[in-house]
Amino acid sequence: MDGVITAWWVWPLALFGVSFAIGAVAVLAGVGGGVLFVPIVGGFFPFHLDFVRGAGLLLALCGALSAGPALLRNGLASLRLALPLALVGSVTSIGGAMLGLALPTDVLQVALGATILGIVALMGFGRSQDAAPPKPDGLAAALGMHGVYHDAAIGRDVPWCVHRTPAGLLAFGGIGVLAGMFGLGAGWANVPVLNLLMGAPLKLSVGTSGFLLSVIDTSAAWIYLHRGAVLPMLVAPSIIGVMLGAKVGVRLLRVAPARIVRRVVLVLLLIAGLRALLKGLGAWN
Amino acid sequence: MELIYARWLSWCSRIALAVLVVTFVLYMLGVHRPLIALERLPQVWGLAVDEFVAATGAPTGWRWLGLAGSGDYANLIGVAMLGLVTVLCYLRVVPLLARSGERALALVAAVQIAVLLAAASGLASTLLAGNH
Repeated sequence: MDGVITAWWVWPLALFGVSFAIGAVAVLAGVGGGVLFVPIVGGFFPFHLDFVRGAGLLLALCGALSAGPALLRNGLASLRLALPLALVGSVTSIGGAMLGLALPTDVLQVALGATILGIVALMGFGRSQDAAPPKPDGLAAALGMHGVYHDAAIGRDVPWCVHRTPAGLLAFGGIGVLAGMFGLGAGWANVPVLNLLMGAPLKLSVGTSGFLLSVIDTSAAWIYLHRGAVLPMLVAPSIIGVMLGAKVGVRLLRVAPARIVRRVVLVLLLIAGLRALLKGLGAWN
Repeated sequence: MELIYARWLSWCSRIALAVLVVTFVLYMLGVHRPLIALERLPQVWGLAVDEFVAATGAPTGWRWLGLAGSGDYANLIGVAMLGLVTVLCYLRVVPLLARSGERALALVAAVQIAVLLAAASGLASTLLAGNH
């Protein structure tokens, strides 16, 4: 691509190494692997962004599918909360994927860079909270979006319900578009919407976010697959690398300084976001 | 209901991931001839998807299934299985929701299955793009 002849196996091997590191760091920083994978691999590897986004979606999907059973068994993900939101998100993620595959690459790079920089701001300055359960709105009541989950940390059952459901559905519509368009996964957006906008408890928001990803990303992943944007050489090493890295990350969780890791991730995202933005503008190729 | 969903999710995703890993190992070992030679990949993986398809004859839609005997596109069997895991889990819980009187949620889940199947079948792409 750049005039330098490199053996074909060098890039997949490098991809495996980077994905492994992303898997470990993502667990330590409490972010999804997809949000790191797409800007980093899209910015610094020779693969076209179409294939990187397809792989990013599948990566986020695998992470969500793997984490889903434990979250559901422990009561930290709620089907009642997730089903209506997932439906809206999965419909719009199809539109987002189609839009992403139709846009010129430089436009997409600029939009990706701007989105990543927005995520950095959200992660850097956003604050989650747990308050008293809100008064449910009519739609939440009609859909039965309430329940009780067991918080093992405080040793008691916590009742929950949500409000501002129409605004939440609208927000998940937007999240679906971004997830499909950029292949980012969307945990960074799911949790603030569930917790801050809709008033779901933080732990339930985090757990349900993982479940939501498994549905939203599935719809968009099919669009990429049908368009031919799933490159086996890219997908398999990435998924295997991230899954193995996540296992190491979980082991490191007890000893690694989480705040420092989170700051490192923010810096990485900042560089990757700027790289995408400047690449799209033709200023850093 | 969450526990049943979790059991189905756990088994289906494990099987899909195992298939993906096995087919990738076979691809790397060169057991089956790939559609796109490994040495050619660096020349084409930087192309936009439409250019890539035109340059390599890579399949779109479900046509990869006819090439599942090739080393590279066999990997899409595991990918497609990953894409069907959620559909199977939803199919399992819809009757449970309906039986427990959760009609609104059962309807939401049924519509979700239709959306996922539309995406999986290629119908959603066709409807939105007007071509395939």
